[in-house]
Amino acid sequence: MNGLAIDYATLLPALLPVAGLVLVLAVDLVNPRLRRVPYAIAGLAALGAAAAAVPGLALGGGSTRETFCLTGRDVAAGAAPTIDGVSQVCLWQADALGGTLQLAAAISALVCIALAWPATRRRRPADSTREPVEAVLLLAALAGTVVVAASRDVGTWLIALELATLPVIALVALSGRRSAVAGATQLLVTSLVSFALLVLGVALWFTATGSPFLTPDAALSSGGAFTAAPGGPSTVVFPSTSAGVVGLATVLVIAGVGFKLSLVPFHAWTPTAYAGSSVPIATFLATVSKVAALAALLVVLRAVAALGTPALLSIAVLASLSMTLGNVMALRQDDVVRLLAWSTVAQAGWVVLPLVSISALGVGASATYLLTYVVATLVAFAVVAVTLQDRPGDGRSIAAYEGLWQRHPWRAGALALALTSLAGLPPGVIGLVGKVTALRPVVAEGWVWLAVVAAVNAVIGVAVYLRWLRAVITAPDGESDGEPDIARARSGARSGRRRPAMVAGLVLASAVLVVVSVQPDLLLRLLG
Amino acid sequence: MSWIVRMIVVLPALAALAGLLARRQRSLASVIAVAVSACVAVLGLVQWVAPSRTADITTIGSLPLGDLSVPLHLLSDRLSGLVAFVVALVVLGIQVFTAWYLRDDPRYGQFAATVSLFASGMLLLVQSGDLVLLLIGWEVMGWCSWLLIGHDSERPAARRAAYKAFLVTRVADIAMVVGIVALSVQARSTDLMAVLTASGDDTLLTVGLVGIIIGVAGKSGLVPFHDWLPDAMEGPTPASALIHAATMVAAGTYVIARLFSLYAEHDGARTLLAVLTAVTMVYAAMLALAQTDLKRMLAYSTLSQVAIMLSALAAAPAELGPGAGISQLIGHAFFKALLFLGAGWLSVLAGATALAALRGRLRPTGALRWSMGMGFAALAGVPPLIGFFTKDTVIDAALEGATAGGGLRAWLVVVALFVTVALTAAYCARAWLLLDTAVAASGELPEAAPAVVAEEHVAVVTTADSADDAEVERVHAHGHAAITLSAALVVSVLAALTLVGTLFLTTLRGGLHLGLVSSLLSLLLVAGAAYAVWSVSDRGRLDVADRIPVRVRESAVRGFGVDTAYVGIGRAVTAVARLVVVLDRDVVDAYPRATAVVARAAGRAGERGHRAVPSLSLLSLLAGVVLVAVLGVTAWR
Repeated sequence: MNGLAIDYATLLPALLPVAGLVLVLAVDLVNPRLRRVPYAIAGLAALGAAAAAVPGLALGGGSTRETFCLTGRDVAAGAAPTIDGVSQVCLWQADALGGTLQLAAAISALVCIALAWPATRRRRPADSTREPVEAVLLLAALAGTVVVAASRDVGTWLIALELATLPVIALVALSGRRSAVAGATQLLVTSLVSFALLVLGVALWFTATGSPFLTPDAALSSGGAFTAAPGGPSTVVFPSTSAGVVGLATVLVIAGVGFKLSLVPFHAWTPTAYAGSSVPIATFLATVSKVAALAALLVVLRAVAALGTPALLSIAVLASLSMTLGNVMALRQDDVVRLLAWSTVAQAGWVVLPLVSISALGVGASATYLLTYVVATLVAFAVVAVTLQDRPGDGRSIAAYEGLWQRHPWRAGALALALTSLAGLPPGVIGLVGKVTALRPVVAEGWVWLAVVAAVNAVIGVAVYLRWLRAVITAPDGESDGEPDIARARSGARSGRRRPAMVAGLVLASAVLVVVSVQPDLLLRLLG
Repeated sequence: MSWIVRMIVVLPALAALAGLLARRQRSLASVIAVAVSACVAVLGLVQWVAPSRTADITTIGSLPLGDLSVPLHLLSDRLSGLVAFVVALVVLGIQVFTAWYLRDDPRYGQFAATVSLFASGMLLLVQSGDLVLLLIGWEVMGWCSWLLIGHDSERPAARRAAYKAFLVTRVADIAMVVGIVALSVQARSTDLMAVLTASGDDTLLTVGLVGIIIGVAGKSGLVPFHDWLPDAMEGPTPASALIHAATMVAAGTYVIARLFSLYAEHDGARTLLAVLTAVTMVYAAMLALAQTDLKRMLAYSTLSQVAIMLSALAAAPAELGPGAGISQLIGHAFFKALLFLGAGWLSVLAGATALAALRGRLRPTGALRWSMGMGFAALAGVPPLIGFFTKDTVIDAALEGATAGGGLRAWLVVVALFVTVALTAAYCARAWLLLDTAVAASGELPEAAPAVVAEEHVAVVTTADSADDAEVERVHAHGHAAITLSAALVVSVLAALTLVGTLFLTTLRGGLHLGLVSSLLSLLLVAGAAYAVWSVSDRGRLDVADRIPVRVRESAVRGFGVDTAYVGIGRAVTAVARLVVVLDRDVVDAYPRATAVVARAAGRAGERGHRAVPSLSLLSLLAGVVLVAVLGVTAWR
């Protein structure tokens, strides 16, 4: 460990959630009856992580904040064939893109924590241990997400990705309902197979490159530079075969990560898990998990990008399948959580769409789209959570949103902005900007058929979200509907647990959405 | 002096606006209408006596339309002065008469205002030195005619007649607009002088001239657009007088007269006009002979007379100018206004407009009897009334055209003119004999009148559209109101004008142009036809038209089913429209709708495939891995 330099300031975004996690466990050990303190700690940890990620945003022009760096000698000793045998490799590299993804994950986690804020009164004494566990799991998943965005070696990468995934499965299962268990089971099974795929992909990567690092240098070493490292294990491998193995490794990684992104055909768990879990957990699945998955995928693809690979047909196929199936299915849903689940599938297609061009342009466009999707989805889920608080019985059906504009204009406005952003229509300008950004690499690479599929899906997507939006802005049918409405509102007021934290989460998410909608430039510059 | 020209157009328009605002105060509305009409008539007189002889009186400045010059000038010369004065005079008479005639009508104010606006449109057309202004005047008259004919809008027949008039003239106006555009494009200007002197594309010129003829045929009721005019009798009688006498129907004559120098050089367009007018004048005169209703008879006679005006323009030689047509226009304005107002007066007295009910009703009325007599005599062309001079001017001009190389076209017109002269005399004589011969034996009671008609003809009378029912109802409701002095005076003055109006024509070049032989021949024809009618009708005791076979007469009264043909055309158009709608909805829109259907079906299929079974999701995962791996490896390079 001689050459290992550790910069703790750089590591803060990951360290803070872990510290929070330990603190929650410690507090729970002392007083297991606390319900709100674990969440407060978790919220503070997420806030701290977000704040710690901010300095990384200002980095431009490919500079990175790095730590855990190995000196050249150690690298050579680590049997990694490098071009000149001198390059310094860092296990943690957070550049502007990684920093932005970390920030997005932290803010999303913060909103999720606000939405899951526990009630004051305890219903059953037996529940007393649930809140700390949930807080710990949330923080663990957040830590995994933050780490995976910055990891550059296969070990950290794999473990961080699993750290971001496995707690979520537990969270879904903990939601308590029967359907939640079914969702968790499906999630678990799929995630196991996916993990197998990921490990296989990583193994193939190591076979082809002989390097445990997910860096451009390692990828290049597979292509033809191996002659510079005589005596290495890769001398017997023909260049073309080696490149083919890198390709196979890449697509296996895509398949493995595709499960987390809920790309078709790895999506089947999505609606079950979303519908089964509570709304805050579904929000977490739809936002933080997606950030983790894309961050993991981008780590690999940025390494591969150095090879100058033309494009990936498999990504194109997955993207078009996801968009089409997701939109078509979302069109038929009457449960808003299911609708958002299928919308996640469709949006995942849009997220990977620019990656058909494995280049800096494609990577940036993909991250941009992911951020617009995350912000808009956060707001939509937050509105659902608040509405569900008002009308516990039927708050999940589209019909429950009829006349929302008259009853709660602010909430309806936030939802309208979120839905139009997801659909890519003004006033949700950011959604439109995201769609244009996502299409640019596709068109630049000349994938006309894919652009056409995307355009058709954009149209179907408009129908998906407008279906919901129409209910929001139209008044309920008649006066007859008004009476039970008032009664319901009164009963909601009587049950009376309007949680300020939940509203705060909604306000935070909406504020971010409004800011980026008014000034889309802000978002584009972050990744620029 | 140019302010007079502008005022003549602007004043009636302002009067229309003021009259509309003052429509609730009946007396104020009538004062406005009559006073302004009188002012305009005086201004028209001044302008006629001392025309400024200029064609560039500016109005609102030229329109900025690129290289198409649209100066929007008015003009003033002898021709426009005379026609404008006659129009103003007739409008004044009609306004005075209307104040009495619509004495019980709650919507008198609107009617008088519409008449003012109508007059404004006609005067704008007469004085326009620009095709755009001409078209505006033309359109204003079209809209106002719709309002006037449909004045009794509570009656379905009046509404239908209004729509029919509007639609038929509108269809013809398509050609009018196309023609005006073609002429403007050819001259690169809409200025009348520029259009007349332009030398350009022959095709454009032909399109322009033929288009204007078709438009004129619509408004002037030439075959095949003629059928709206008899139906327009559903409007109140003053409206009929206005439309028929000096304005809308005759406007086409004035337009073609303005463009006469272009038509004189273009044989094709003139041949079309000659054929249309020849057919129309004879056909309409024959139908007039068969009518059972006084107003409808007058309407058909208008068709015939307007065709005579236009035939003068179709056949006259170039050097003679359009004077013959214009003089017929002016003569017709006087005697047709007289006849219509007289018929209105008579219908108030008799409470009907059907000839059978009016039989002998003219005899006991003093001034009215004389006036109607002069009107019919002028219409028939009896000297020394104005009708004789104008008609023989037309005949002489046509003869001159025929002998000066007009060829078949001019001869056709000449023959048609002579036939029409005889037929006109015949229907005038018939009408006069019916109205003036005391009903025999059975007495003076109006109820007895239908009894005189043979049994089978009762059917004809009752099934024929008896025009102007509203007035009849009004008479039944309020009883006979004594005519006011001023209204009676109007009729008398018009009668006097049919006698002395010939003097107006002396100021018009080519306005009076009689040939001895043709005059004698037409006199003989008039006398012969009148005598024949007199003798056949047994000195007025019978109706000549009763000699016509019943079936022929019945369909003649109905205009030989032209109305049905119009309806058929309308149906065909709506059928085509419906076909287009069907094509649009079921063929073109099917593709967009199909996407929705496909999306929904795909969603249903997808739901069936997602049953939350872990094994299924594993299966799809594996399939996905194989797919991705194969694609990834094969397409890597």
